[in-house]
Amino acid sequence: MQVLKGRRQPSPETRAMLESMLDMVPQGRVPVRIFNDPEIFELEQERVFGRCWVFLAHESEIPSPGDYVLRYIANNSIIVVRDEEGKVRAHLNMCRHRGNQVCKAEMGNASHFRCSYHGWTYKNTGELIGVPYWNEVYHRRLDKAEWALVPVRVETYNGLIFGNLDPEAPSLEEYLGGFQWYLDFYLKPGPNGTEVYGTPDKWVADTDWKICAENFAGDGYHTPVAHAFGFELGYFPSSARTHFEGVAVHIPGKGHAIGLGRTPGMPPFFGFPPEVVEAMHQTLTPEQVQVFSQVRTAVCTVFPNLSILLQPFSRIPGQPGVRFVTMRLWHPIGPGRIQMWSWCIVPKDAPQWYKDESYLAYTLAFGAAGMFEQDDFENWTNLTRQVKSTLARDLVFPYEMGLDLEPDPSFPGPGVAVPPYVHETNFRNMWATWARYMLRD
Amino acid sequence: MGVDPAIKAEIEEFLLHEAELLDERRFEEWIDLFAEDARYEAPMRVTKARDAGPDIVEESKIFSDNRETLHIRVQRLGTEFAWAEDPPSRTRHFVTNIRVQPGDRENEYRVRCNLLVYRNRGDTPDYDLLSADRQDILRRVDGGWKIAYRRIVLDQSTVGSHNLSIFL
Repeated sequence: MQVLKGRRQPSPETRAMLESMLDMVPQGRVPVRIFNDPEIFELEQERVFGRCWVFLAHESEIPSPGDYVLRYIANNSIIVVRDEEGKVRAHLNMCRHRGNQVCKAEMGNASHFRCSYHGWTYKNTGELIGVPYWNEVYHRRLDKAEWALVPVRVETYNGLIFGNLDPEAPSLEEYLGGFQWYLDFYLKPGPNGTEVYGTPDKWVADTDWKICAENFAGDGYHTPVAHAFGFELGYFPSSARTHFEGVAVHIPGKGHAIGLGRTPGMPPFFGFPPEVVEAMHQTLTPEQVQVFSQVRTAVCTVFPNLSILLQPFSRIPGQPGVRFVTMRLWHPIGPGRIQMWSWCIVPKDAPQWYKDESYLAYTLAFGAAGMFEQDDFENWTNLTRQVKSTLARDLVFPYEMGLDLEPDPSFPGPGVAVPPYVHETNFRNMWATWARYMLRD
Repeated sequence: MGVDPAIKAEIEEFLLHEAELLDERRFEEWIDLFAEDARYEAPMRVTKARDAGPDIVEESKIFSDNRETLHIRVQRLGTEFAWAEDPPSRTRHFVTNIRVQPGDRENEYRVRCNLLVYRNRGDTPDYDLLSADRQDILRRVDGGWKIAYRRIVLDQSTVGSHNLSIFL
């Protein structure tokens, strides 16, 4: 089976730029060009999205045998399906005979996939079991075992199904490298974990995925300005200044990062119903409870392009509000262009009223028409267009914020935790990690 | 049993007036067209096999608003900080194929139309075209009309716009 092995080589100019990033980024400089460039996009398809664990689906989206959804890694259309034995599998959505799509629906339930061109039929395990006229025209010569749907490696963490196009990539556990400790805040609000509410919002935007991934890796700096309307209309209990309190954590060398924002005086686990708070005390460790009970905003990116945001929100300013959790996948579909996927996840054991309220809060704030989402995409699409220009391409961006800050050695979570909430340490680690993926042949 | 042509004409005029308010960004007047108990919803479309049931996921909503949250959206647009609409989008709402049926109550009507919204921003000629099925319940109130319920279903499963900072 052919695997992606970095077939495409960076041009000498691009290789030199990437190599310079290894020194430049830790010192607080990132080349502007990486944020909108056709060559960078092509290289990323293989060197980043061809090697990393990329989010495919939440287990609750395919609860029963035969359930499937159609998702993507790089430009590969992938069927994510639960087989008849209940095992999650992923296959390239391409008939091995002449390349047709074997699955055309975005979701459904199927024990088999049948190609509409010559009728080749596959079990949902990927096995080729039907070749029309195998006796008469193939004379039994074709070995069906050789032509299964191309499998994609999958591994799961607490409901999140990730896929990896590289059979030699390390395990998901090793890849996450301790970041699981932070993901637990989102994914373990009770013994039965989380479920997706409904189906994801999807839309397209002319923004580079990296801008979005960086923003969600702990960009608390933008909130008082980009979302100033939120302060103006009374949505935020904190002022712009107290908003900056908390800590930013990253896993060195892995790229994953989280911002944990705190509001002084916030009641512990504010915005969660008592049933969920009690359940969290069962599923989280005492250290996790100690940290997360004080967190107002938990915003993270799992490298490369899965981000998760958890925060309290009241649809009507001034009312108590509820917590919502949104997962988003910034899926690159072209240089400076993404298809956006946005889910709302809720605690499976939470009362229905809470799940409904949580979803309503999510969609008003961060759905396709979300009031906060609108302004982010306005900024991101505008900047993506600007950074492509001939003058911009030779520039660098400053990533100096927090260069002189010290980690907090007493912080109980893994990785490097640097207070406060607002600085760029997470982003420096992310882009240095990215540069190393891009340089690896 | 059909609908009095005079009523139908009023309803058509109402919808066209509403579209004009939106395209002229007269949002405070637009909000007044909604009943106090109004709901404004846009469930999502997905792609399913032909025989796999409806292609709309009712649980998932692009918009799930009541009059109060719609008004907050309008208030946001009135602040200095609604960057997504500063400079404002240019929109044109095309409301066609208007079909009117009696509603469940004596003073209510079920109104279905095709909606095409053109949207352009800034100095490029690029535009979004959003097509949707729109199903309203319009209520006769004090000789005028109010929107008691609006259901919008876009004709895309992946929405073809970078955001929905405009109203449908």
